[in-house]
Amino acid sequence: MAKTILIVDDSASVRQVVSIALKGAGYEVITANDGKDALAKLSGQRIHLIISDVNMPNMDGITFVAEAKKLPAYKFTPIIMLTTESQEDKKKQAQAAGAKAWVTKPFQPEQMLSAVSKLVAP
Amino acid sequence: MSLDDDMREALDMFVTEARDLVQGLEEGLLELEDQPAGGETVNAVFRAAHTLKGSSGLFGLRHLVEFTHVVETVLGSVREGQLDVTPGLVSALLPCTDHISAMIEGIAEGRLEPDASQLADGTRLLAGLSPYLDGGAAPAASVATPGAEAAPAEAAWRLGLRFGPDCLRNGMDPLSFLRYLSTIGTVTGVVTDASGLPDAEEMDPESCYLSFDVDLVTAAPKAEIEAVFDFVREDSDIRITPSESQLDAYVRAIRAMPENDRIGDVLVTSGAVTEMEMAEALRVQQERAVREGTQPVPIGEILIEQGIVQRDIVDAALTRQRRTTETRSQDTRTIRIDAARLDKLIDLVGELVIAQSSTGVTPGVSAETSNEAQGEVMRLVDEVRHSALSLRMVPIGTTLRRFERVVRDVSMELGKEVSLTITGGDAEMDKALVERISDPLLHLVRNSLDHGIEPAAERRKHGKTQQGTLRLNAYHDAGNIVIEVADDGCGLDRDRILGKAIERELVAPGTALTDAEVYNLIFEPGFSTAEKVSNLSGRGVGMDVVKRNVTALRGSIEVETTRGIGTTIRIRLPLTLAIIDGFLVGVGPSSFIVPLDRVTECVELPPGPLGRDCMNLRGEVLPFIRLRQLFGIPGEPARRQNVVIVEQSGQRTGLVVDSLLGELQTVIKPLGVLFSRVRCISGSTILGNGEIALILDVGTLIAGHSDREHTRQAVAVG
Repeated sequence: MAKTILIVDDSASVRQVVSIALKGAGYEVITANDGKDALAKLSGQRIHLIISDVNMPNMDGITFVAEAKKLPAYKFTPIIMLTTESQEDKKKQAQAAGAKAWVTKPFQPEQMLSAVSKLVAP
Repeated sequence: MSLDDDMREALDMFVTEARDLVQGLEEGLLELEDQPAGGETVNAVFRAAHTLKGSSGLFGLRHLVEFTHVVETVLGSVREGQLDVTPGLVSALLPCTDHISAMIEGIAEGRLEPDASQLADGTRLLAGLSPYLDGGAAPAASVATPGAEAAPAEAAWRLGLRFGPDCLRNGMDPLSFLRYLSTIGTVTGVVTDASGLPDAEEMDPESCYLSFDVDLVTAAPKAEIEAVFDFVREDSDIRITPSESQLDAYVRAIRAMPENDRIGDVLVTSGAVTEMEMAEALRVQQERAVREGTQPVPIGEILIEQGIVQRDIVDAALTRQRRTTETRSQDTRTIRIDAARLDKLIDLVGELVIAQSSTGVTPGVSAETSNEAQGEVMRLVDEVRHSALSLRMVPIGTTLRRFERVVRDVSMELGKEVSLTITGGDAEMDKALVERISDPLLHLVRNSLDHGIEPAAERRKHGKTQQGTLRLNAYHDAGNIVIEVADDGCGLDRDRILGKAIERELVAPGTALTDAEVYNLIFEPGFSTAEKVSNLSGRGVGMDVVKRNVTALRGSIEVETTRGIGTTIRIRLPLTLAIIDGFLVGVGPSSFIVPLDRVTECVELPPGPLGRDCMNLRGEVLPFIRLRQLFGIPGEPARRQNVVIVEQSGQRTGLVVDSLLGELQTVIKPLGVLFSRVRCISGSTILGNGEIALILDVGTLIAGHSDREHTRQAVAVG
């Protein structure tokens, strides 16, 4: 069965482009607009990898990651954080919260794909 | 849907999103100018720039990324408190938002690369920002793409991978890294070192104890192999060494490290430039931009400069590139819809389906039950229609807030001090209307600033506050939306307007006119009272155009003014263009619909001589129009005729009809081009029995009535 990836970003175009790239590579994709939305989507389905933005309304990415990591089902789930070069401190916080992988914005879809496939094969 | 279509759709989405972001950016900046200490606003503004940069990178829009990056950097320093918000800073940043917006519009039209004038603008604007940069704002680092096409010779590597004990807990599965390695090269051998495994009772199943030695043959440069382990490097020990003394290959591999090259795709595909040459040129481009702190020189220029290609080839590539992008500029119009509204609609449709099934013929069901079911269906249809229409409704606030910028710029230009208050931004109206009303509103706002609000000195002289106030207000009123543009300026000058109207031969000298009639003269074509024509208004296209636009939207415009106190211009518009509440009347075999909001009352036509076209309505003279006569409908009038009294802009007129058929909501169908010149009719609709009813245009009816000539010219439609 294809592996399922959750994309959490408040930008619809980012969600769309990343979805296209990942679906093209054979992954299943679920999207969420913000941390709160994403948390709600974690239960009831198996998600193999999470991609999350940092700056989001309602619940930011770091809080979301920390919350997600508290759930037993997501203890081992790899999380990719979307950071920027100007956010070294955010990257550190995200790693402390449990998101060890990252992709630096602005990124190309191929970069996301390569980061994802390092962690989870389709 | 192909992948291309998907991307196109995503790009459209990006454009919509980017427009919102830029607007947010602009609004935030204006807010900051007023309240420089607004911490949340600073964050919001920074976030807007940041998100914009992030998503534009996703589409490889380098010019946008690079420009926005500098803006973001400046905003970043503001957020960190290293930079204070000054009017100067806001003035430097606002044109940047315009520039970003121009680039986005360019992208919307399919120009994914900036043109020369945009580049020049960008360079100029960035220069304006340079005082606010502490030297650290290099254009965004280029994004590296893995996978070099022009492959250097393959090399063999030995990888020593000692994963940290926590790597599984961190979601990093060593196996997936090994699998990934085979996508960049050939794994020729793996030796698993299990010597780190403790005894079973001491083993923590969540920890990783294994190490691997991997032999990899790949054309990828070392950096790329290294990048595979980016996510685990921190707590693992990763060693990558050339398996033999392949130093030459190593050096070559380093040189082959690719950089991103979307811009040069055309050149590369055509074979005129190799990928490597392109990468090198990009590097030079970046370097120069960093050194000089400007927008990068176009890549073509650099290629030419370095003697890689001739100018002709670059030019040809540029035109070809433009041609391929032009094809996708048909603008698909999109609208954002609140998900809850869509859900509600779907719910209703669901209910409707259930209700429909219950109206189905079932033996033994009483007429009563079936009537009930039918009533339910009708109610649901009504709700579905209502809810479907509400999908097109958007708050008008976004449009109104756009004027903050206009007010700021215009008042600065005029040297006046004006503050803008916006109220009622929540009032919703049809998206199509919002788009079409913003130009007329813009004109009204400029007019108020230019002619209404006096210069500060004059205001002081009249004992007013030095700062003028412009008020934009929107509210719902009896099925209409009303938008007011109010200023506390000098008000309209009755005598001057009248004098001008006489001079322009709009009215005959000596005509007695009420105040309202005089003020309405400003909406007459060819009327402009401003003594000096300024840059902003008074250029011939004036209030008459505003009025025409508003009337075209089935709206009305009125003016209320007090000398020395101010002027309020009130635009009244229907909530939607698609449906009206109508009042159906019959004349002979024809049916007409009078917009219900124009109808004030209905009375029976008192008997009287046929030739007289007015009646006594509770002691007042009411002129009326016989629709039968106006439209040349054959046949004898009914024995008892009725008068529908309609009112527009304070003028009342009766419409004589045969029968009153009641209220109904109708969907407006526009008349075809052929009938575009027909007066007194604004559209048509199809009645329940399949017949056509024409919708009367009360405005022209009343206007035509006061001018007999027009009445006679009305086209016969019976």
